[in-house]
Amino acid sequence: MAITRRQFIKRGGLVTAGTLLGPQLFGNSLMRQAYAALEDNDRYFVVIFLDGGNDGQNTVIPADNAGGLLTAYNDARTNLRITPGELTNSLIGLDPISGTQLGIHPGFNVPGDFFDNGAGEGGLKALYDAGNVAVIQGCGYPEYSLSHEEARVIWQTGVPLGTPAGTGWIGRHLAAQYGGNQIPAVTIDDSIVGEFRQTGTSILAVRDLDSFEFPFDGAYPDDIGAKRAAFNAINLAAVTGAQPSAVFIGNTGNATIDSAEAYQSLSGLYNTDRAIFRQRYADVGRSVSNDLREVARVIYGVEQGVANVNARFFQLSNGGYDTHSDQGGADTNGQQYSLHAELGGALKVFFDDLTDMGIANKVTVLVWSEFSRRVPQNDNGTDHGSQGPMLIIGGGVNGGVYGNHPNINDAALDNEGNTEYTQNANSFRATDFRDVYGTILQHWVNLPQGTVQALLPLDSTPDAISDPAHYWRTANFDLGFV
Amino acid sequence: MADGNALTLQHAKHLLRRTGFGASQAEAAAFLASHATRGDAANALLSFKPAGFKPGGRYFEDIHDKWIKYMLKVKSPLQEKLVLFWHDHFATGISKVLDAKMMAVQNKLLRVNCKGNFKTFVKAINVDPAMMEYLDTPRNHDEIPNENYARELQELFTLGVKDSAGFDNYVQADVAQIARAFTGWDYDKTAYLRDYDHDFAVDYPTRGPKVIFQSTGGFGGGGRSFAANGEGEAEISTVVDIIFDHEDSQGKNTVARRTARRLIEYFANPSPSLAYIDAVVAASGFDTNFELSGLLHQIFVHDDFYLTAVAPVGAGTPKSVRWPIDYVVTSLRLLKMKLKGKELYVDGGSYNRVLNQLSNMGQTVFDPPSVFGWDWEAAWVSSSTMLARYGFARDLTAARGGGGSSFRPSKLMSLDLTDPNDILAAATDVLGITGDLSLSEQSTLVDYLTDGGAFPSLDLNDYDVRNVKLHGLFALLMQTPAYQLQ
Repeated sequence: MAITRRQFIKRGGLVTAGTLLGPQLFGNSLMRQAYAALEDNDRYFVVIFLDGGNDGQNTVIPADNAGGLLTAYNDARTNLRITPGELTNSLIGLDPISGTQLGIHPGFNVPGDFFDNGAGEGGLKALYDAGNVAVIQGCGYPEYSLSHEEARVIWQTGVPLGTPAGTGWIGRHLAAQYGGNQIPAVTIDDSIVGEFRQTGTSILAVRDLDSFEFPFDGAYPDDIGAKRAAFNAINLAAVTGAQPSAVFIGNTGNATIDSAEAYQSLSGLYNTDRAIFRQRYADVGRSVSNDLREVARVIYGVEQGVANVNARFFQLSNGGYDTHSDQGGADTNGQQYSLHAELGGALKVFFDDLTDMGIANKVTVLVWSEFSRRVPQNDNGTDHGSQGPMLIIGGGVNGGVYGNHPNINDAALDNEGNTEYTQNANSFRATDFRDVYGTILQHWVNLPQGTVQALLPLDSTPDAISDPAHYWRTANFDLGFV
Repeated sequence: MADGNALTLQHAKHLLRRTGFGASQAEAAAFLASHATRGDAANALLSFKPAGFKPGGRYFEDIHDKWIKYMLKVKSPLQEKLVLFWHDHFATGISKVLDAKMMAVQNKLLRVNCKGNFKTFVKAINVDPAMMEYLDTPRNHDEIPNENYARELQELFTLGVKDSAGFDNYVQADVAQIARAFTGWDYDKTAYLRDYDHDFAVDYPTRGPKVIFQSTGGFGGGGRSFAANGEGEAEISTVVDIIFDHEDSQGKNTVARRTARRLIEYFANPSPSLAYIDAVVAASGFDTNFELSGLLHQIFVHDDFYLTAVAPVGAGTPKSVRWPIDYVVTSLRLLKMKLKGKELYVDGGSYNRVLNQLSNMGQTVFDPPSVFGWDWEAAWVSSSTMLARYGFARDLTAARGGGGSSFRPSKLMSLDLTDPNDILAAATDVLGITGDLSLSEQSTLVDYLTDGGAFPSLDLNDYDVRNVKLHGLFALLMQTPAYQLQ
């Protein structure tokens, strides 16, 4: 039975409270002084969540036995095994210390219209070959959790130990930087996601710009103009009225309707100007390609200077990664194959779109999952695991392989069959996910190192302080991929 | 003296609104007819016997939705307003506790104690499994005591960091000592003490005697010993007894002042005067008896409670921003509408389930953002949270599927009214915001109804006129700044 974080902690002994990130962090004057706006750098940041726990072991795979990893891999994976022969067309760089040749899952090497037209080359592999993909191995954190919910919250808040932070790792930056009437971030979802959670500023949650509109009664469109005028006038009256609490509500109301209408117009603008790419997303024809298209629509709107559209941060997710059974290996009908094909295909179209807009260098995408999967497989799938790869994609990214392949030798696995998190300087040192976040905040969002450290506090429980080899006690926000 | 003050209609509506989930003009009038004075009204509102309701279900969504359903039907809404307050005060989140049944048990505990004895309440929370899990009590061992609960018990639940004059109420040594009291406590279905994990003074001589409040609290340099009733199980109870005896830098009972302040901030206004706080504590004797219902009674009859019960035109006292839960439950109750289906969705507009709508408004019950609970007032207001409220208002008035989950204005007001001013008055009466709109807002809405004067009278019995203009009016009213406030 999978160990819960609570059980792990009980067995591990004594853990005292980690930091509590309360509202006081937003008021920190140091933070307010120290930020540098993503806006000033004219950049965008997109987060893609692979929901369910993507099997990293079959995503970044040993293609030769230079470090003995292929033997270990073959021991662990039988019918899910992806052989060196099957990796010939999707080889990437070498594992830095062991020198093992690595490959990515062949599903990442298919074109966007794979589902209609079959095999070809393209997808994430094409982006990698252009130098635009950083594959970061072994990403995780101490005292890993096997619970979807708990692990997801940890990745979203950036606080693995102690009482969960109530705010997201990006949210803390957004709240410090933007006011309540601005909309710096958009999530393609039904509600605000954990990464963006905070109370200082506004995040738009929208599924589909085509159908997004300020909420008027759609059954009577002829009356919408009258409703809008009344709404506007009432909010203006509140702003100039005598009730103090109504003043800020009135301000927010009008800012909201202006933004909502601006966002609604983005769909039409994009469809007119970029019809060819609209078709290419449709050729992939999956929810992840639809969602990336929505992001592209907003980015295009910002680039075109549409009034009241200023979002710089985006989030979307793709589901289906919890492959306890029927995961599939290299066979094109497999579940994981299909997921990688649609994600890779969608990302290729997205970056072709951005390149055509002339702004591929201004956009960076981060792909993460709440955990990887158990190294030894079960019948035909895998159970929940620990460290796994993160992908960073963008025109401004320094492509290649970063971090170390986790130690998948059977003797090195823990009781659960999972790789261990270590910060010892050896060939299997894990990459703490907060170092990846921090590198993005420092080198992409351009925040000073001190500000970034305040947003991502080090592990500071007594256990962590006494055992730096197994906790995140030294930050490295210069991983170099951006 | 305050008890005997006559209630006015405006005050009756204000009282019902603040202590419940909305009140139409008619409900306020009926209430006034049977409760002529503030004292009568407060007695009636506080006379309920707390129900033993516990939301059932295996998963978070189940207990969430069960609680919402209960709030929609409950006969004494003050009970649920109190449970919500205590849920924010003793904030506990399922994202760490990870067990819906434990959260449900706590929810019932909050309900049963909501207007009882506060000291008993805090002692019960000490050993509530969900709270223990949330603040790490089971991980508090004698070898290295975990200070999380010991700190929040003082900082958030009872004393507060500083008193009204700005002096610290406790020091780090108090946190460390109180943590010792809680070492070894764990839970199965209920809490129990593992002696072998408990810090007994004889085993840890370097930690000093089990004494707290040597530099604050008015106990003198010697402080007070929480081992006075014996070591072991009794300590956590003795700690609470001592905390409740703590006096601030002005010699007033610290817990009483702080608890009164928080309740006033929730029920009355966001920045209460010290005079208001001290008056209600003195009048109720809360600083000796710690009975919440007596304290609440005094809060509800005091003049300051009614400071914001005036029309917004010309009023300078900031009103409170309604919690998302309040906005949703009040709207459904006033419009006499039900939610539909197993997933509790509104049967119109976005057809989104109420759990998602509330989350978009910034409030997911059973999952506050942190142990500090939710941020109130202006923090509820942002473009995205307001959009969620506006969308909810639209959804309610676009619900045309028939039956109890659709918007049926015929059940709320007369459809034979034709004068737009009368129609507006009737609608604001239904929503309980009579007198809250400025003249300018009123004339805007009359203009809306008449399409700028083109249709000076309306036939609400006409299907289209009613569905366009009357449904539209109710949506606009629920989207006004005035309706967000109380």
